[in-house]
Amino acid sequence: MSSAPANLADSPAQGSTRRSRYSVLTVLATVTIAVVLVAVSIGAIAVSPLDALLERADRLVERTVLLEIRLPRVLLAAFVGAALAVAGAALQGLFRNPLADPSLIGVSGGAAVGAIAMIVLGGSIAVSATAMPYLVPLAAVCGAGAVTLFLYAFSRRFGNFSVTTMLLVGIALNALAQVAIGAFEYLSDDTQLRTLIFWMMGSFGRATWTSVLPATTVIALAVALLLRDARRLDVLQLGEADARHLGVDVDGLKQRVILASAAAVGAGVAVAGIVAFIGLIVPHLVRLLGGVRNPLVLPGSLLLGASLTVFADLVSRTVVLPAELPVGLVTSALGAPFFLWLIARIKPQ
Amino acid sequence: MRFKQSVVLATVTAALVAGPALGCDGDSVDPSRMAVAGGSITEILFALGAEDLIVAADRTSNYPAAASAFPSVGYVRALSAEGVLSLNPTLLIGEDDMGPPEVVAQIRGAGVETIVIPEQHSAIGILAKVRCIGEIVGRQDAAERLIAEKLTPISTKIAAQSARSRGTAPRGAVLLGLRDGAPLGAGLATSGNGLLEMAATENVFDTFSGWKPVSMEAMLQANPTFFVVPERGINDAGGLDELLKHPALRLTDAARNRQVIVLDGMAMLGFGPRTLESAAALADAVHGTPRHRETLNGSM
Repeated sequence: MSSAPANLADSPAQGSTRRSRYSVLTVLATVTIAVVLVAVSIGAIAVSPLDALLERADRLVERTVLLEIRLPRVLLAAFVGAALAVAGAALQGLFRNPLADPSLIGVSGGAAVGAIAMIVLGGSIAVSATAMPYLVPLAAVCGAGAVTLFLYAFSRRFGNFSVTTMLLVGIALNALAQVAIGAFEYLSDDTQLRTLIFWMMGSFGRATWTSVLPATTVIALAVALLLRDARRLDVLQLGEADARHLGVDVDGLKQRVILASAAAVGAGVAVAGIVAFIGLIVPHLVRLLGGVRNPLVLPGSLLLGASLTVFADLVSRTVVLPAELPVGLVTSALGAPFFLWLIARIKPQ
Repeated sequence: MRFKQSVVLATVTAALVAGPALGCDGDSVDPSRMAVAGGSITEILFALGAEDLIVAADRTSNYPAAASAFPSVGYVRALSAEGVLSLNPTLLIGEDDMGPPEVVAQIRGAGVETIVIPEQHSAIGILAKVRCIGEIVGRQDAAERLIAEKLTPISTKIAAQSARSRGTAPRGAVLLGLRDGAPLGAGLATSGNGLLEMAATENVFDTFSGWKPVSMEAMLQANPTFFVVPERGINDAGGLDELLKHPALRLTDAARNRQVIVLDGMAMLGFGPRTLESAAALADAVHGTPRHRETLNGSM
């Protein structure tokens, strides 16, 4: 497992690359910290984080806003953004396809279907209310995993995916997800329906510590698992046969990537709904900044994914005060033009 | 149908003697700065002359026109915790679909009182709402006056109107979503069903509950004698004539007789005082008298 080929990462010629990798990551880490600090400090209510942390803020409202509303929200946005971006980068590596984005290829949709199924059917199979906060994310992870497995099996069956095929399959899977969601909408009562609408829009507004802590734990584990495979994902870009010759346990690698990205996306979707395009934009921006090597792209995506999503959420909760926009609207507004630009860049074979 | 009339009369009487609103926990709150999530609540606050206590209202608060001037806290089901708190309200008052629940809990956690006004899709429910809100803002007198002078006469009028349909209550359907595909019909336990009951009519869709898409065949089988649609539905369909050509509606008695009652969306389903007026307009249009077999357009 730990037999990643030394020649790819540690050859003497890589020295300068490695230095630039660290400088890119340092810059991104600085940006992330800055964005998080800004996001925690800005909101509808003026409150100084320092005062609140030192318990100098005497008003209950200010402390509650900072510690119970803004902090869990920013943290959740950072983790979900990181999860989507790293999962996007890893899936792009796994499928060797630059347009693999969890929301485009149906993985997020699968997660939403899983969560919705649990919300609607869970009530009728008498799941206790205390178990629901854990079962919904679990069902979301299963939904995301099922779609990822299907995509992978499909790609094996038909040889490798071309860029176009993967997007077409994504359209089909998203359509299927819509069908399933439509069916559950039909089955749901009015109260359930209200929670369903939320999945399609994406929002960090419902973040509370009770929902944030389990989600961030799962995301942290899944992302850590993906980061460990960065070098092996690089080798995989040579093709499966070559990767095997170079000593990579290709099957184990695929299983880990599928499982971990499904867990990351599923946990994110379960608490925030579908936040589109983060998994697409972020890895590409990182590649533009520092090259295509995954030991840079994965941690870079983690940082940029977190900061971009925290920023998008900041926009969504401050532009139409005192109301807010769905964050999915903001990320799609950024992501859809970028997606078009990417398609234009890919030359037809 | 005698039974229907006596139901309506019993309803009115029960509401008049009901006294304090059921399930309303309105005393000992500070209503001096209210964030309102729900169009009917805003409507009632204006009717009670308490609009100066409102600091913000949600997007469904579009009546009276002056209500649109308040800062908007967004859609009633998608409030923003910090956004609401930034208005420094003393009270968040909302309809039963106010949400998301996590956000409401956060607002409560920040020390702002939150009240959900109980919702019941009936004349009793509307009167209870008026009383509850009157209690919250300390204007019980104004609430009772509104009920006695305006709402009770409407209920009485509906009872008189429904008396015109001897023996047979007209059977109709409340429809939404007429833009494309199957329209959504109001089944049991919906605001649409409540409106039909208030007008002493029968809902043709009494076999399911909730708002459900109704297929062409199901519509034909139900064969309503009238449709109730929101104004926006007519616009979505591209006018009344286009609506009546809708494949799902075309062959029903209602379409043949052009018996379509068009009402303002919030007035029709918001269950504020205007919904009682809507029910009266509906009752007037569908009960008995043949001269009303014309389209009633924009009656409100």
